[in-house]
Amino acid sequence: MEDILLLAPEIILAVTALVVLVAGLYLKTEHKVALGFISVAGIIMAIALTMSIMLAKTSASMFYDTMVIDPLSQVFKLVFLSVALLVSIASVKYVSEDRNTEEFFALLLLAIIGMMVVSSSNDLITLFLGFELAGLATYALVGFEKKNIKVLEASMKYFIIGAVSSAFLLFGMSYVYGMTGTTNIPGIAANAHLLVDNPIGIVAIVMLIAGFGYKMSLVPFHMWAPDTYQGAPSVISALLAGASKKMGFIAAFKVIIVALIALNAEWQTIFAVLAVITMTLGNVVALSQDSVKRMLAYSSVAQAGYISMAFVVLTPTALAGGILYILSHAFMKAGAFIAVAIVGFMILVGNKDARDTDHIDNFRGLSKRMPITAFALMVFLLALAGIPATAGFVSKFVLFSSTIEAGLVWLAVIAILNSAISLFYYARVIKYMYFMPTEGGRITEPAPYAIAMILALVAVLVIGIWPEPFIYWASEAANVLLI
Amino acid sequence: MIGLEHYLILSAIIFSIGLYGLMTLNNGIRLMMCIELMLNAAIINLVAFSAYSHDITGQVFALFVIALAAAEAAIGLAIMLAIYRIRDDIELNEINILRW
Repeated sequence: MEDILLLAPEIILAVTALVVLVAGLYLKTEHKVALGFISVAGIIMAIALTMSIMLAKTSASMFYDTMVIDPLSQVFKLVFLSVALLVSIASVKYVSEDRNTEEFFALLLLAIIGMMVVSSSNDLITLFLGFELAGLATYALVGFEKKNIKVLEASMKYFIIGAVSSAFLLFGMSYVYGMTGTTNIPGIAANAHLLVDNPIGIVAIVMLIAGFGYKMSLVPFHMWAPDTYQGAPSVISALLAGASKKMGFIAAFKVIIVALIALNAEWQTIFAVLAVITMTLGNVVALSQDSVKRMLAYSSVAQAGYISMAFVVLTPTALAGGILYILSHAFMKAGAFIAVAIVGFMILVGNKDARDTDHIDNFRGLSKRMPITAFALMVFLLALAGIPATAGFVSKFVLFSSTIEAGLVWLAVIAILNSAISLFYYARVIKYMYFMPTEGGRITEPAPYAIAMILALVAVLVIGIWPEPFIYWASEAANVLLI
Repeated sequence: MIGLEHYLILSAIIFSIGLYGLMTLNNGIRLMMCIELMLNAAIINLVAFSAYSHDITGQVFALFVIALAAAEAAIGLAIMLAIYRIRDDIELNEINILRW
């Protein structure tokens, strides 16, 4: 019975999803705004419960050792839940006049449950199930505007590449099961030498890296990410970049680090190459983008490169830095996409047939028309570039300094050079917003969007100014991995 | 006598057929059939390993995957149907608004 209580956050979310889905059948479209409030309430309850479990430092394993509760899983659950909170607050406005509101919120909650199951999983079966639950729900969410061919194209690309990568993942898992005789992750770690001594084991690990790399959008598995982030509704891009991508990281942390520690240094070289290619390609291609969402998508690819430096260094500080980076990236990127969503929404209010609402020309003189949005977007972009007093600086600092401590100076130098490149395209958007003339008067942002954006802004600044508790919990989480 | 390796070779061949089809075809439905082939190859692996090592876990995993593959097909068909309603075909190569 005690076990069930530890899963209370997931259960609450599942119940909320079902309540929202059923209640939507009986409500008129104009009353469906209440569904958004119900799901926000459910997510807040889940956050409170997850936090109380985390602060009590509970460690437990349940359901025949297929799920575990530890600081690592709780920290990641909080990341997913916070992104879900921001996205669902913003979506109250986005889906307010849609007659499919209930499906939107139910799918959103189910996606988050899938991610939480992944972060708790201790067995390949639960891990794969959570992965797919989150995947299936987000395929449908990306294609939510089903009359818009651009959205459908994004959804179709995401679905095809996602399904192929889960086939790769499953094929790799089947070999891992065959070689080690178990699907339990600690059991695999104990038998990791069986994987290394066998050519099939190597194939299996490569397939696992491909399967997880797709969710993490590491180059060369990133091709879906720019298309999907650009085409999807902006609030869903926030969910994908803020939460879904982090699911790839927690899964890779759980499976690959366990195997990597048992293996030798050669795999670290592979991850070093992947990290360098990912951050360089992401940053260089982002330079030439005219669509702000696509620019953010490439910057998200680049950030995945920074985070995967944690796989190369593999010291406790580096892993803590990676986890801290994941936490701050979730707020920075989700906030930036929500700010872009506001701009897009306001343009569509003015002109229903407007296309390419995320084109950089639409950000000209934004500081005059929407000062709050412009300021928040500026902070998010500066945080992504790693300017001090923001979350981006703290996490980059911890991650890069741990890389230098571990003697990988060349890797840190490449990462710092990349951050310098990235400042260029972030500054370009800021230049458009603050130093370009504009036409049109002052516009007030819709309240739900503004609340979500300001919450993200506060989180980014709090992590930047008072990072100690976040660093503490990130190191607690990292310790779980390295025992 | 049919050994474990026969099953593994069979599943590797099926997986490769699926992967080859994915790279060469551009009809949405055919792509989904290729994905299904790849998933089923993995299921053959799981069941073969499970049978030859007398461990039931692999078969449990296979059952879950069969259900997931069905759900995935449902979502995929829904997306293809939505595209078909707008464009009247599902030749995916011609859907290229989003690039670079």
